[in-house]
This record gives sequence, structure tokens and C-alpha cells, in this order.
Amino acid sequence: MARAAHPHAMQSAKPSSTRTAPPMMPAQFPSSGRYRAYTLFGATGIVYLLLGFVTLRVVWALGSGEAAWNNLMSQLQNPLYIAFHVLGLVSVLFVGVRFFSLFPKAQPPRIGPAKPPPAPVITAGLYAAWIGVTVLLGAILAGGLF
Amino acid sequence: MSERKKTFVITRFDPDKDEAPRQQSYEVPVQKNWKVLDALNYIKDEIDPTLSHRWSCRMAVCGSCGMMVDGKPSLTCKDSLDGYGDTVEVSPLANFPIIRDLVVELEGFLDKLKSVKPWIVKAKEKAVEEGTHRQTPGELEEFKKFSLCINCMLCYSACPVVGNEPDFLGPAAIALGHRYNLDSRDEGDAERQEIFRGEGTVFSCSYANECSEVCPKHVDPAAAVNQAKFRAVVDWATSFVTTRGGEG
Repeated sequence: MARAAHPHAMQSAKPSSTRTAPPMMPAQFPSSGRYRAYTLFGATGIVYLLLGFVTLRVVWALGSGEAAWNNLMSQLQNPLYIAFHVLGLVSVLFVGVRFFSLFPKAQPPRIGPAKPPPAPVITAGLYAAWIGVTVLLGAILAGGLF
Repeated sequence: MSERKKTFVITRFDPDKDEAPRQQSYEVPVQKNWKVLDALNYIKDEIDPTLSHRWSCRMAVCGSCGMMVDGKPSLTCKDSLDGYGDTVEVSPLANFPIIRDLVVELEGFLDKLKSVKPWIVKAKEKAVEEGTHRQTPGELEEFKKFSLCINCMLCYSACPVVGNEPDFLGPAAIALGHRYNLDSRDEGDAERQEIFRGEGTVFSCSYANECSEVCPKHVDPAAAVNQAKFRAVVDWATSFVTTRGGEG
């Protein structure tokens, strides 16, 4: 059974000439059909929030000396932490793919006299930039550049 | 002609008798190639004349017969029954107040539509002797798909924001406002940008893209809403160095 929508959803400022039943949300929202991908897209925000806390902890450990840093590094070897970071990676991949698929059509037909390139070119550019940044960061983290 | 029975579970609501909407089942001998609307008309004509539903053209042009079929927004004159099981649930469009049975209140939508000034705004009307407004095929192509909306309201029923934020203008109204902003003959961009930037408007959209998925005319209102966001941001940013509307 669908849940109730906001009682004033799609209501006119003028009072209705007849008694109406309140609006209902679409029955399948939010956990089935195509809404699932949208709901998951939004739900990844929780993963990023938690990743933010982990990052703060890393920064805190960095400022607390070598012992604190080494202690945290050993804690991060815990399978639960590893599983959480795998979840974070999957979330980023999912959001990236969905965002890249929707981004091209959000471009206006022109900005001033300039027209955006065709959608496949925009998408290819986004993926190229993503892969490029990932390779660059990987090289930096592996010590290959600095 | 081959036929088989399907059970239609229809939402019924009589404002004079019912406290809340209820469901009623009907057995319908469905014929091959029938649309959902054919079954509703059969119920109305042959079983229960008290059933109320809207329809008119039967060819996906008037936009009157939008309803929820098995929980999904559907233009019932276009939606074949072949894809449904033995039981089909039909209810009024989601996110709209219900007047009676499958008929919803449209006044709220018309208020939103009017607020985006869906007409060509010109500072000064051209005199007849000056000739017609010229437009190239390229200029037409920029907004053409956004002008194909038939106001069937399926996009409003699919949108997860419409049901939660009463002030949100919604997909069709923004798409139509954006259509005029893209029209080379129009000069109302600055006025509409003020409306688009106001509370509960284009930035309320969370880009679920459901409006475009359900649109029977492939208008792609999600593209229009997100292009309108882009323009609103560019207009806001350029307003620090130019007057609103992007002109120096």
C-alpha cells in the first residue's frame, strides 16, 4: 500500500469546490522498480559520511605522533575496515557511473555562442578524466611520482 | 476475436459517501490488443456506470487518461494490457488530491504552470508590418522536444520530490518554462529565472530521472529541469559582473 504524500502536494492555493481525498505517493516508492537505483544513489551519502569520520580519524592520528599513526594503520587491517572501504569503492563507482550517464543531458544546448560536444564525447571525457585522476593518485600513493 | 478474463482492482472514492479511497474488483473479458483504457471503458459501459475516469482522444495526444497502473504512472490509452498479469490494479495519479475514483484535482498543476509564464514574453510587440518572427531550424531544435508535452501529469506522479515538497514547480511546468527560455523569439528569461531560483523550485529536483522515464512523449523533463539549474547557476554567477539576464 502506498504511503501518504504531503497533504498539500499539488493542491491549489484556492480552496477546492469539492471534498478531495489526500494525495498518495507512488506505490512502488522507494524500494522497488527504477526507484531502487535512485534510493541507493542517495543512500551512498551515509557511506561518505562514515568515510569522512574515518578520514578525520586518520588526520587526528597523523597529528598525534608515530605511535598513534602505527596503531591506526594496524586497526585499518581489520577485515571490517577493509570491507567498509570496499563498500566505499563500490559506492563511488556506482555514483560515478550513474552521474556520468545523466550528466550530458543536463548541459544546456548552448552557453552563449558555444555548443556543448555530443553526449558520447562528454561521457568519454568524464571517464577519461576519472581514469586519469585515478592513475595519477595511484602513482602518487605508490611513491612513483614524489 | 480471442479474449480472456482479467481482474481489475480499481480505486473508488465518492466524496459524498467514502471517508477514504477503497478498492473494488471487476472481472473483464479482455480482447487482444486492448489498452488499459479499453478495459476501463468496458467497466463503465457494461458493468458499473458509476465509475469515473478521464479520457478523450484515445491516441496519446490529449493527456487526459493518465493513471497509476500496477503502481506505475501510465497513459492508459497507450498502455497495452498484454504486458500485465491476470490482476491489474488501477488507481488515480499519485501525488494529486483525488476528486472521485480515478479523477484527480488539476488546479494545483495549473497554478504551477501559469507561474512559469508559458508563453512568449516580449518587451515590445512587433508591429504587423515588420513581418513575422524568424527562427532557424537550429534555433527550433534547441527547444522543440520540450514543447511536445501533453500535460498528462505522469511526470508529477513519478517524481519523488513532488509528493514531499508542495512548493516544487515540478517537471512539466519547469520544462515548459525552460522551453520558452530557449526560444529565440522570447525575452522573458530573466523573469522566469527569478521564479526558477525561488524557494522550492528547480534546485529541489534531486535528478531521480523518473519523470523522463515515464514521459509518453519523450519530452525528457529531467533534462529541462537540470538545464534550468545550470542556467540559474550561470545567471547567478554572471550577475556579479553584469545585470541579471547576463547582459552587460
